[in-house]
Amino acid sequence: MDQIQYYDANQIEGRSMTIVLDNGKLETISKNSSKGAGIRALCRGSWGYTSIDGETDLKVGIGNASELAASMNRSTPKEKVILGAVPKRKVGSMPKIKINPNDINIEDKVELLREIEKYAKAEGIKSTRVSYSEAVLTTRFMNSEGDEREYNTVRSGFAISAVAADGSNYQAGRESRFNISGYEIFEKEDPYELAKQAAETAKSLLAAKTPKGGALPVILDPELAGVFTHEAVGHASEADLVLQNDSVLLGKLGKQIASPQITVIDDPTLHEYGYYPFDAEGVPSEKTILIKDGILNSYMHSRETAGAFEGVSGNSRAQSYAMPVVRMSNTYIDKGDAAFEEMLEDIKDGIYLIGSRGGQVNTGEGVFQFNAKKGYMIKNGEITDLVRDVSLSGQTLDILNQIKMVGKDLKLHAGHCGKAGQTVPVTDGAPHISISKATVGGA
Amino acid sequence: MKINSINDSKNGADKMFPENKISIDEIQSGIEKALKLSEKLGAAEAEIVFSIGESTSIQFKKDIIETAKQSTSAGYGVRAAVNGAVGFAGTNLMSDLENTVRTAVASAKVMEADPFFRSFPEKSAGYKEVGGLFDDKIVEMSLEECIECATDMISGVKSIKNMIPTSGGFSRSVSYFMIMNTNGLSAQRKGTAVSGFADVTTESGEVSTAYDYDVSRKKDVDFTGVGRNAADLAKKSLKGITCGAEKMPVIFHPFSFADILENTLAPSVDADNIQKERSGLVGRLGDEIANSELSIIDDGTLAGGISSGAFDDEGTPTQRTSVIENGVLKSYLYDSYTAGKDGVRSTGNGYRYSYSSVPSVDFSNFIIKFPQSDVIAETKKGIYINTVIGAHTANEISGDFSVEGRNAFLIENGEISKPIKSVMISGNIFEMLKKIDGAGKDVRSVGGIITPSIRISEMSVIGE
Repeated sequence: MDQIQYYDANQIEGRSMTIVLDNGKLETISKNSSKGAGIRALCRGSWGYTSIDGETDLKVGIGNASELAASMNRSTPKEKVILGAVPKRKVGSMPKIKINPNDINIEDKVELLREIEKYAKAEGIKSTRVSYSEAVLTTRFMNSEGDEREYNTVRSGFAISAVAADGSNYQAGRESRFNISGYEIFEKEDPYELAKQAAETAKSLLAAKTPKGGALPVILDPELAGVFTHEAVGHASEADLVLQNDSVLLGKLGKQIASPQITVIDDPTLHEYGYYPFDAEGVPSEKTILIKDGILNSYMHSRETAGAFEGVSGNSRAQSYAMPVVRMSNTYIDKGDAAFEEMLEDIKDGIYLIGSRGGQVNTGEGVFQFNAKKGYMIKNGEITDLVRDVSLSGQTLDILNQIKMVGKDLKLHAGHCGKAGQTVPVTDGAPHISISKATVGGA
Repeated sequence: MKINSINDSKNGADKMFPENKISIDEIQSGIEKALKLSEKLGAAEAEIVFSIGESTSIQFKKDIIETAKQSTSAGYGVRAAVNGAVGFAGTNLMSDLENTVRTAVASAKVMEADPFFRSFPEKSAGYKEVGGLFDDKIVEMSLEECIECATDMISGVKSIKNMIPTSGGFSRSVSYFMIMNTNGLSAQRKGTAVSGFADVTTESGEVSTAYDYDVSRKKDVDFTGVGRNAADLAKKSLKGITCGAEKMPVIFHPFSFADILENTLAPSVDADNIQKERSGLVGRLGDEIANSELSIIDDGTLAGGISSGAFDDEGTPTQRTSVIENGVLKSYLYDSYTAGKDGVRSTGNGYRYSYSSVPSVDFSNFIIKFPQSDVIAETKKGIYINTVIGAHTANEISGDFSVEGRNAFLIENGEISKPIKSVMISGNIFEMLKKIDGAGKDVRSVGGIITPSIRISEMSVIGE
């Protein structure tokens, strides 16, 4: 039998619920309970992985994963993988959950959602949708090195959307908040205000124009700047992508890659949506400075990539019991010292882009494209007309170097990140930032 | 390899998943018992699905095969209706079905009565068989054969000079689905699929990337070709030029056209979005919404189709639905709830992501038909777009989108000429449908959308 040098297992047990209220109708109450395990084994350079839904016999699972790894090693032998050592760290403080969602009965949850929906159903709003979700998870980790750990998390959140229509012109406003939190998320956030905002956005966009595209000076709000940070900078800093030649940041460690005002951090210890006490390889989490004063400082690592780069691991994550991959947690541009007004004055003529409807990035070529929720034209240092259907695209390294000012108003926004077919909770954020020139798409 | 050869027995699943000691008879009788329990608990109707899937995937990074994965997923999904309100619960604990039924019924009781709910699908008189969905050869594949498919992709990439994979993989899956409800409906189906994906880049010098993939219900994918095509496209995309901002004809490769269609037109013909007035096609049935030569058919009965099956995930028989016929909007797509609400028959478009999710309307196989010709040769000047990024950011109600075209090329005098570095294309799907004026002979199946390259007479294009 070929020698198995390492194995580990993540056993997950969870319960989740989703409630959807659509146009005043309680459309869905969906509850799920699940249990399962993901098991990996390493034989020289080959990984075997097996996942099982339901009750699991760990011994059998480890045996199957080992057999896969060993037969892979036999048919396609390759260089031995050296796993990075587990850094000696303590697990930081766990988030405190104030109100266990289990303790609130379902009727009350529905009632609250109805209340929230009323605020979204403003005059001129054609349809609304409010959803709530909660998930309670227990994660149990063990490996062949004798490490055993366990933790529980509670995550909850809500999303509100409102659609306004004028003839064939339909515009939507959407707000969402998710956190590592119990039912107190409704105390931390003001859902009524957010519902009003969603309605307001949808209505105002009806009359908004689409700007002429082109290269313009741009100010990004914290949400859109956060998406840029996550998508364009964060993904390119994932060491697995760097190793597979799929990152524009390959070979750039220690080099100036951004304006000196830029510091980018990934911090899983923050009690935000992307929080975890230890990663899917049992490594206690720790903050990583990715870019320090414009200089690329570190990639994010799993134990395998840490071994290849002499880096420090702690960013290995998995959706439920899928195979762990290098992932972000809470990723943000650190705050600077500019006031928003200063940026406007400095930019003079350009565009202010707000929020994100999503985007995509090609990390290898360092090209990205994001759609803003809305924007405002800036004329003579002042905010003027509202515009819609605006997108931002360009080269990651170009934009990083063109950043002129970094605001002091850092804000984080929760979302879900997809990679390798897996979705994990993350936050991303930034202060307002101004960019001397970027490509803005319109009609 | 855990799956041994099977002889196609009555249901098949017993032998498809021998390792899981699944007994279909036991599961069936368990479901029958649980359905009775639901009625005892006060459900007017109930439905239970059981699904099990097993997959093997081989992943590579660069030109090294790194991981072999073997995954099994199995579980139950329960819908219970009380006064038309439908509660849902799912579990993957085989022993937990009765509790799951209790949860679903309890949720339904919390919900208000829904007068629009008609019923879960009735027992069908009989399902038409759809061919080409199951291939014993896929079930029988050994781990070594799976690895070989991945190796073939890598060598396909490396057959083009200076090209190397970044990542990719091969995957094979075998699945089994069972549905029963209190109306006496009881149906089972099974399927297989193989797929390959290769993402490539240049090994040195200027960076140029591209991808290709293919998926089939049969073991007939040319994996070497997948790797070679991706590498070839990345190579051709080197030394891209920039272009200005202008309006010109654009030809979309099946990949990019399907991506845009999936994120704009597909949600617009979903009856749920129509009923909630979240679609640009509300009240447009019978209107000419596209070029009169364009037809779009949703066909769940397509032999060998990626999304085909004799019935949908609610047990409704699938069918061919003419969505757009000669430019005229003919039908929306319905699941059983939305059909009941409109007083029509379900088009068999009730689909679920998995056993643990409620069904909702989705297209099955979307077939795009337009008179085919040598569309590039007939284009004097224009742009050819292989793939786009950002299609999912489209405004699915208004149909507006703004995407980044990748692996784009200039067309000059009827020929693909220089590559274009980066180009933004914005437009509106409903305007685009009217401006379709050509289609290639290169029909491809892209995630259930089956389309040739499509030419749009004029679109806004912005270079960088």
